[in-house]
Amino acid sequence: MTMTLASMTRPGDEPLPRRPGSLRRFLRETGLLIVRGLQTIPRVPQRLSDVTIQPLVFTLLFLYVFGSAIHIKGMSYQNYLLPGLLGQSLAFGVIGAGVATATDFNTGVIDRFRSLPVTRLSVISSQVIGQILEQILGIVIVAGMGLALGWRPHMSPFGFVEFLLLMLLGLSAFTWFGVLLGMIVKSSDAMQGIGFAIVFPLSFLAGTFVPIAGMKLIPRTIGDWDPLSALVASVRHVTQGTNTTGSWQLAHPVVSMIFWCFLIIAVCVPLALRRFMNSN
Amino acid sequence: MSNDAIRNDESVVVAKGLSKHFGDFVAVDNFNLEVKAGSIVSLLGPNGAGKTTIVRMLATLSEPTSGSATVCGYDVVRDADAVRGVVSLTGQFAALEDNLTAQENLLLMARLRGYPKGSATRIVEGLIDRFDIGEFRDKLVKSVSGGQRRRVDLAASLVVQPKVLMLDEPTTGLDPRSRQVVWSTIRELVQAGVTLFLTTQYLEEADALADHIVLIDHGRVVAAGTPSELKSQIGDQRVDVVGVDASAVVLIVDALSATFQVVVDHNRRTVSVPAPHDLADLAAVTSALSGVGAHIDEIALRRPTLDDAFLALTGQVPESYENEPAMKEVTP
Repeated sequence: MTMTLASMTRPGDEPLPRRPGSLRRFLRETGLLIVRGLQTIPRVPQRLSDVTIQPLVFTLLFLYVFGSAIHIKGMSYQNYLLPGLLGQSLAFGVIGAGVATATDFNTGVIDRFRSLPVTRLSVISSQVIGQILEQILGIVIVAGMGLALGWRPHMSPFGFVEFLLLMLLGLSAFTWFGVLLGMIVKSSDAMQGIGFAIVFPLSFLAGTFVPIAGMKLIPRTIGDWDPLSALVASVRHVTQGTNTTGSWQLAHPVVSMIFWCFLIIAVCVPLALRRFMNSN
Repeated sequence: MSNDAIRNDESVVVAKGLSKHFGDFVAVDNFNLEVKAGSIVSLLGPNGAGKTTIVRMLATLSEPTSGSATVCGYDVVRDADAVRGVVSLTGQFAALEDNLTAQENLLLMARLRGYPKGSATRIVEGLIDRFDIGEFRDKLVKSVSGGQRRRVDLAASLVVQPKVLMLDEPTTGLDPRSRQVVWSTIRELVQAGVTLFLTTQYLEEADALADHIVLIDHGRVVAAGTPSELKSQIGDQRVDVVGVDASAVVLIVDALSATFQVVVDHNRRTVSVPAPHDLADLAAVTSALSGVGAHIDEIALRRPTLDDAFLALTGQVPESYENEPAMKEVTP
């Protein structure tokens, strides 16, 4: 610090622009914060491993290792597995969003943003949107990999739009859930642990890799009512036109999936916002 | 004593009966404060005393359980957004985005403050010069040293000229040189008219920087005043004689104990004598020691330190640099 203050152009000399209207201000700040999140990705590529390498490993592992012993009646294992993996990717988004949120809260970065005259809603929206963008990358990778390895979805243009909307709804719901968890848990390591402890088993019981109907009583019962089962079954229904038998929610997967997503959003969004707006 | 530490016509920060409870735990209890414009007020206390909680309430990050506070006349709860417009907070952990460069972090802060890209860039370049960030401007913040990080952190708080700058333990964990740099920056800022509210657990820091010190412990104000007021609360000045080794200390004690009431600190090889008469006492001590043949490192007339004040007022010794020998030469 060799220069003296008097010789410097001080920040106060630059006129602070007039505050734009609240919507424009919100959009501008959200945009800045989303860019900030995306800017960091090339610096820590390993952070993307859970939406890139991990799904790749799962796809290869199940398709070529376990898949050789799994036979699904009436369809190739690729066509059974890929919708399941897409559903699982969405579910793992909970962990990604939670860890990212916990990290931001831990390092105090969020507090710094909250101490600025920035609409608080934009801080949390950018968090959610940034996470959704990351998850979309993962989903594109899984889908692309699947297509390359023989996955053949059967969708009309309308079905494709339905598929996209369903994925987006699922992404929003699971990301908000993850953000809320991250704010509650507050430690990224703990979030990683807790996230895996919940999501991992539930995603395996959800008919992702093998049909729920063939499971023993206890896992089958859990699988029947696991929200992730509705997610996986709905993706399978939309992309392959197959129906899953079992509980009511499996027989009506799209409706159930929409119900679960709205339930998660209805619970998590207000809680997350409240926690964020006046956290201690 | 009164909790109302400072009285001035232009009070920039006013807290009245501010309290914060976390469940049954009372983090801050009935905290009162007035900070006048252009002053440096330091909140001094050990870890867990409630300093950070107070700063967080004043910076609108945490809502008080009871009581109220205003910054530049804006209520921290009702006009929180207006408060955020006049306050810059530098939190305890140098809250920067680790995976952005120093320059990118500063640019983000300037943009979030509302500047368009052009003027944001100009401001950031100015800050990079002023805080000597140039040599590591394009390094990711996670890979710079603690002192460099703190500089970026301070700069990030100054993308606007805030009315009030709040620094929560700005030098905790810094090496002595970086600490000096932060101190001189703080002094420059105050010359430029910024009101500064600073927390620290280091007595030396409060003593070196603050016009007014508020001592807190267990969420309560223990004492408040200027550094010299606080020191004078706990007694008079003294003459310290430091011997070169243990045998010198013995000789010094022998020579002085006949005429004076001595206090010996063997760890620091220091013999202290009350000195209510300033130079006369110093001269008396010097003459008593002449001809004794004790090898002496240092003789000095000293006012009580804030260490002594803290011990007297709270019954405990706070964190200090004492165990960090490297700090000795920068201790004021």
